[in-house]
Amino acid sequence: MTRLLAFNSIVVALAVTTLGAIFGPIAVRKGRRDWLMYLYAAVYTNFALVTLSTLALIYGLVSHDFSISYVAQVGSRATPTFYTIISLWGALEGSIVFWAWVLAMYAAAVVWFNRKREGNLVPYAAVTLLIVALFFHILLVGPANPFLPVFPVPFDGPGPNPLLQNHILMGVHPPLLYLGYVGLTVPFAFAVGAMLSGEVADDGWIKVTRRWTITAWAFLTAAIIAGMWWSYEVLGWGGYWAWDPVENASFIPWLTCTAYLHSVMVQERRGMLKLWNLNLMVGTFVLTILGTFLTRSGIISSVHAFTQGTIGYYFLAFIGIVLVATLFLVAGNSDKLASDGRLDAPLSRETAFLLNNLFFTVFMFTVLIGTLFPLVAEAVRGVKVSVGEPFFNKMTLPMMVALIFLMGVGPALPWKKAAGPELKGKLLPGAVLGVLVAAAALLAGARGVYSVLAFLFAGFALGVNVREFVVGANARVRAHGEMWLVALSRLVSGNRRRYGGYTAHIGVVLVTLGVAASSTFKQEQEATLRPGESITVAGHTLRFKAAWGREEPQRQVIGATMEWMDGDRVRATIEPRMNYYPTQEAPVPTPDVKSTLRGDIYLNLMAFKPDGSNVTVKVIWEPLVPWIWLGGFVLCLGALIGVLPGRKRTSDAPAVRASALAEGQP
Amino acid sequence: MTQARTLSRALMGAAAALTLVSGALAAQAPELPAAPQGAPQDSGALRVKVQGTLTDAQKNDPVLDAATSAVAAQLRCPVCQGVAIQDSPSELAQQMRMVVKEQLASGKSPDEVKAYFVSKYGEWILLEPQAHGFNIVIYALPVLLVLGGAVFLVFIVRKWTAAPAAAGSAPSGEND
Repeated sequence: MTRLLAFNSIVVALAVTTLGAIFGPIAVRKGRRDWLMYLYAAVYTNFALVTLSTLALIYGLVSHDFSISYVAQVGSRATPTFYTIISLWGALEGSIVFWAWVLAMYAAAVVWFNRKREGNLVPYAAVTLLIVALFFHILLVGPANPFLPVFPVPFDGPGPNPLLQNHILMGVHPPLLYLGYVGLTVPFAFAVGAMLSGEVADDGWIKVTRRWTITAWAFLTAAIIAGMWWSYEVLGWGGYWAWDPVENASFIPWLTCTAYLHSVMVQERRGMLKLWNLNLMVGTFVLTILGTFLTRSGIISSVHAFTQGTIGYYFLAFIGIVLVATLFLVAGNSDKLASDGRLDAPLSRETAFLLNNLFFTVFMFTVLIGTLFPLVAEAVRGVKVSVGEPFFNKMTLPMMVALIFLMGVGPALPWKKAAGPELKGKLLPGAVLGVLVAAAALLAGARGVYSVLAFLFAGFALGVNVREFVVGANARVRAHGEMWLVALSRLVSGNRRRYGGYTAHIGVVLVTLGVAASSTFKQEQEATLRPGESITVAGHTLRFKAAWGREEPQRQVIGATMEWMDGDRVRATIEPRMNYYPTQEAPVPTPDVKSTLRGDIYLNLMAFKPDGSNVTVKVIWEPLVPWIWLGGFVLCLGALIGVLPGRKRTSDAPAVRASALAEGQP
Repeated sequence: MTQARTLSRALMGAAAALTLVSGALAAQAPELPAAPQGAPQDSGALRVKVQGTLTDAQKNDPVLDAATSAVAAQLRCPVCQGVAIQDSPSELAQQMRMVVKEQLASGKSPDEVKAYFVSKYGEWILLEPQAHGFNIVIYALPVLLVLGGAVFLVFIVRKWTAAPAAAGSAPSGEND
């Protein structure tokens, strides 16, 4: 019953989206705005139906209804309920259900909020969203059907992939990723809608989707950081980024979306780059689908490659259709998209954004080429090659460093034209801070060129961006006699978009410092210890107390209790473990991490004597790694500041505006 | 308008009804697909042989350790997901690290050690493709793109700054 309800909801949703996608354009062509209600009803109905199907599948999982193929594949009576629920996205079919649900939700929400807007932009965007939804429904009744009947009904199932039920972050990272990935469909749909309705010359589609794009970007950012965190906490190698194909798949659209968030300001300000921005958004969407294809079709092996099957062809066909359709649309709108470029000076914020886009685009291409190259090489040379961390580090570090440098220069440059002396004043605090940070890194033993440059530019960007807050708040204090913190909060709420952006920059600085410090100053050592013996890494002493074993319903656990010593005092107890799942022969290493603001002690249990007489542990000192997670929060905080509705600006006294103008700020 | 509203409600209702009726479609669905493949097995063919030739001094030599790490970071762990043997906690990776260390201790150069692993596992074992032949493509393309993009930007900025200054451009408000 549950199975039929879930499956039939999708079948009907498929019919509803098809009808809506056919009916919508007819209504618009005939100029019948009163008919649009049916189009929007299709969007809302789709949401209701997919919600019903998703809830039914979750109910099937929780009630251990093994007559549903997906439940039989990932369910098990021994799995805790939390991991049973999140196994909704633990394998291919369920994750497509979840994708379809997130898409249906976004579509219903964006249509609801914009249903009264004049013109044909929203109807055509709704049609585009329905067509994308249709694609996922086709997957769900075809190659990724989670609702197949199983007979005879098994009494129990194997449970989710052990790696996916070993950490609570598995309940966080995938939903964030889907909210980000799928959310990028909204600006894409409006870009297509703008082209279909011929409203591409004005910035309507950009303004309508601004908050949606930033929201999706923030979710994607949070998902990437949460994925790094998961990899760090679960995989046991002490790193957080391995340039794994799936990591790249989430990072590639992030790069183009970030480029878009910057270049779109040039369009709103100066009316330039219309075609470029449109292409960036269409490209971002295609890259999300391509990323899903690469990781889900199993043609590139990855932690996340669930299965091999025919689903890859569906994705390829869809990518092809999207590319051909958008190419035709862009060609048909080319006269409206042509915009005269006008720049006042080579040294201006506009050119900083152009450079920013150059580096983001090439960065994206580099990661994309590196990710695809094993496929290309095998096709061309018939030889398997690997493209991994050493390649990506070597090729992308120069671009990362350049982008961090630009992140410091850009906010200091005014629109139109920069004047020398005033620019000097804006850059000076950042330059001083950058030199101090780089000097500290050199004293601590950093020698790599990119490592030192990363510290230098991170300090520089931090100084320049923080200065914007300080100088702005000071001006308000002088003008209004406000308390400094009050002045700061009013400054930010008076121009949320700008200060949200600077906040996000500070988040990037924190991530950069964390990554640079942990890759430069990481120290690790492996030792076999008897009870009472200790090991010292980077001045931190770890003492092995005892080994232990424990039975849990779904697994067996072997652990070692280690004490982080501060002289004779025990500072913290750390317990790295190995988890044995019945479905997998090899244990899942489960490291334990103790965080401080200065860095983490990362312990991994490598081996143990069954009688507990000794254990082999790997101890890693990971400087500043928590700054990466902190930076992720600050990045999302910046996005949040950017999307909240702005304060009415009328209360700004002329004095503040005058002083801001004197600063050369717009 | 109200008529349209009623109709749209009717449409939603009909959809819900259809959901409950169209069970037949599901009943004909094919069987359960095969379970997904598990992690690659640590098969015998992948094994390496640790000679046990290291002296006690070599075992604790920090210079040799650093050299070993540098090479181990370039070699892919055959039973993991794209991780270097330097980073992998797996048993095979630990053995491979030991082999790297032994060969370095016996006087082989890092390139010779890498060549040994390539002869044993194929080019696939190198995490960074060798920069010759067809592989040059992935090194050259990004560089060409940066250079080409930079030339294009210089060209376009020159052209745009030469045009008469923005008369019809958007007014500058205070929103960035």
